[in-house]
Amino acid sequence: MNLTRLLAAAAASAAGLGLLAYTSAASLAYHPEDGARLRLSWSARPERIEKCRQLSAEEQAQREEHMRQRVECEGGFASYALRVEVDDRSIGETVFRGGGLRHDRPMHVLRDFPVPAGEHRVRVRVTRRETTDDDAAAFAQPVVPDADTGLFAGRAQREAAERARSARAAIPPALLLDTTFRFTPRQVALVSFDAERRVLVLHGRGGETAGRPR
Amino acid sequence: MRLLKRWFRGVLAGLDAVLNRVYGWERNPIHQAGTVAVAMLLVLLGTGLYLVLYYRVGAPAASVARLAADPWLGGWMRTLHRYGSDLFVIAAALHAFRMFAQDRSWGPRTLAWVSGLSLFAAGLICAWTGFVMAWDSFGERLALEGARLFDVLPLFSEPLSRIFAGDGPVPSAFFFVNLFIHIALPLGLGIGLWLHVSRLARPALLPPRRLLWAIIGLLTLASVLLPAPLGPAADPLRLAPSTPTDLVVAWWLPLSERLPAGAAWSAGLLLSLLALLVPRFTRHPREARWAPSTVDPRLCTGCNQCPQDCPWEAITMVGRDDGSPTLVAAVNASRCVSCGICAGSCAPMGVGPTGRTGRDQLTGLREVTLPALARGGAVPTIAICCAQAPAAHRAALQARGAHVHLVSCIGNLHSSVIEFFLRSGAPGVMVGGCPPRDCSSREGPRWLRQRLLNGREAELQSRVDRRRVGLATLAPGALAETVAAFERFTRQLPAAPVPEPESNPDLDTECEPVPLEEAAK
Ligand code: SF4
Ligand code: SF4
Repeated sequence: MNLTRLLAAAAASAAGLGLLAYTSAASLAYHPEDGARLRLSWSARPERIEKCRQLSAEEQAQREEHMRQRVECEGGFASYALRVEVDDRSIGETVFRGGGLRHDRPMHVLRDFPVPAGEHRVRVRVTRRETTDDDAAAFAQPVVPDADTGLFAGRAQREAAERARSARAAIPPALLLDTTFRFTPRQVALVSFDAERRVLVLHGRGGETAGRPR
Repeated sequence: MRLLKRWFRGVLAGLDAVLNRVYGWERNPIHQAGTVAVAMLLVLLGTGLYLVLYYRVGAPAASVARLAADPWLGGWMRTLHRYGSDLFVIAAALHAFRMFAQDRSWGPRTLAWVSGLSLFAAGLICAWTGFVMAWDSFGERLALEGARLFDVLPLFSEPLSRIFAGDGPVPSAFFFVNLFIHIALPLGLGIGLWLHVSRLARPALLPPRRLLWAIIGLLTLASVLLPAPLGPAADPLRLAPSTPTDLVVAWWLPLSERLPAGAAWSAGLLLSLLALLVPRFTRHPREARWAPSTVDPRLCTGCNQCPQDCPWEAITMVGRDDGSPTLVAAVNASRCVSCGICAGSCAPMGVGPTGRTGRDQLTGLREVTLPALARGGAVPTIAICCAQAPAAHRAALQARGAHVHLVSCIGNLHSSVIEFFLRSGAPGVMVGGCPPRDCSSREGPRWLRQRLLNGREAELQSRVDRRRVGLATLAPGALAETVAAFERFTRQLPAAPVPEPESNPDLDTECEPVPLEEAAK
């Protein structure tokens, strides 16, 4: 290799490596605007909406012993309307429901809304779309004495406890978060569902604001 | 497709010309792109083993930041790992580009093409997961886009994107799975690489040692001098204005982010499908230039030379069906790429693609080339050139008085052709081929050199005056070298007296056990 070629090769190699280093970490715009975001993110179980009726003693007698339910329920899972307002102006409205073909799986919400930096009134409203009949009556009927003895002892209590548990596991029929929040530039304020307190919560830097069930 | 191929070939020739001029064809790194990609895999393996010792799935960003801040080893090892992955992607892409442009992506090479694409895809996935491991703003950006794309597929019960929403820390399980993919895939790369070269005889896996160490040395130097920046640690509740983005592995990111997930998937799948279907689009009917090699069992002496020379292991020796105890060569047409190298290896001229066996080459000379030359008076100096060699070089040789005789590859050239030219009165024969690592038949220049100079079968007979035979490399961008080589060759010719031309030299009686006429029966 003569000197000229050596110098040319060195220069070309240096240029190639420089280009490699540049393309390996080129600064690429991601969120160039100075705005902020309101993010809604939670997972919750939809409520089961059922119509229940008590089976008569004759109906129960026709069934196998292990199939003798006192109360039979039919129904589906609730869907929910979500409305997001910033400064009394709606910025998003949608309907969400449980996952899976029968919508019986948890529903997942993940939405981002751009919001200009500054102080804003934020209102997030979740409302169940279906109305329910009060089916408590079906469960409140006097217990059929034969069915709740022996193998079935304590069944009424267990059924009541199970219904209470699943009702608590589901999202309440109505939720409202209504608060004023100061968005700093590039901040993401997060609204999530607190399953313990059963309220929507807005997390920002320096604390959180809880909403309330309506 | 033909237009595209021609355009690609033009781009490649331009690139080759520049690099040949700068580095010389012996050291042109893009002739070695495939082996450079393999070398980078080794670099990635070495640096990756070190980096993984310090990586913590429970604290990804902090552990990588600690590594990046280590001025002794961690900092440049991390950068070398990154530059190595970039160079792998660039080298693999250039290798594929060359294979496509040179019509080396179909037929028996389909397996290599498809496995090569899989290796490329696996390399990209490794690179993406590697960036996610660092969990800086770019890693987060990649993860978010990946999650967005996967969330439209019915794969996960809960959207992946929620992991990164910020309502909880990103679970360690995510980083564990990511690390697992990052480490497990390279193990699969080994199998892919084996498949990729499984049809090749003597696959070259690494570049020549000097080039290899030069590349590794320069990359290491760049890693020390130009450390790759690490973005700020990922923060789901903060919008980063920009990210330090590796455009080599994530060039698609800004495009994909602007498209709906379904459209991004469609574009990606369409591109992948098109790439996978390249062997289908580029294939040729297996006839004429692309006809597979055949063996004439009456001429084959069972010497076992062609199986050794075939670069695609397409020839095996099998028993004869006439009961005689010798073996005969048999070509597996589905593995034969019609390179014609076997034709140059067979002294009795019993094997080769139709129209390009040694016998066909001599017949062409006797019936077409020599009569035409004789009509022009004295036979001039002959330049036997590979048909793939740059047209400018062939024209320059012609302009200097040479008669240019084209062969499909100089490995296809039977040494008897050189002797035939000389015995017909040519003052000299110079053979010009492609740079050895750019031979589309893989081993043409290597075998020809050995056949002419080292007595490899079918060797140039010892009776041929070696001073009248020259070898040259016709590399794009090195026209001056080609011209200089030819002029040097012709200058030393007058010293040797030109032998009397023979009117009809019969090489068969000296080279072959079976006369042509008998073979023709
Ligand atoms: S080189 Fe020719 S003679 Fe030797 S095995 Fe092959 S076909 Fe037969
Ligand atoms: S032409 Fe001959 S050397 Fe080339 S692949 Fe086919 S059998 Fe092998």
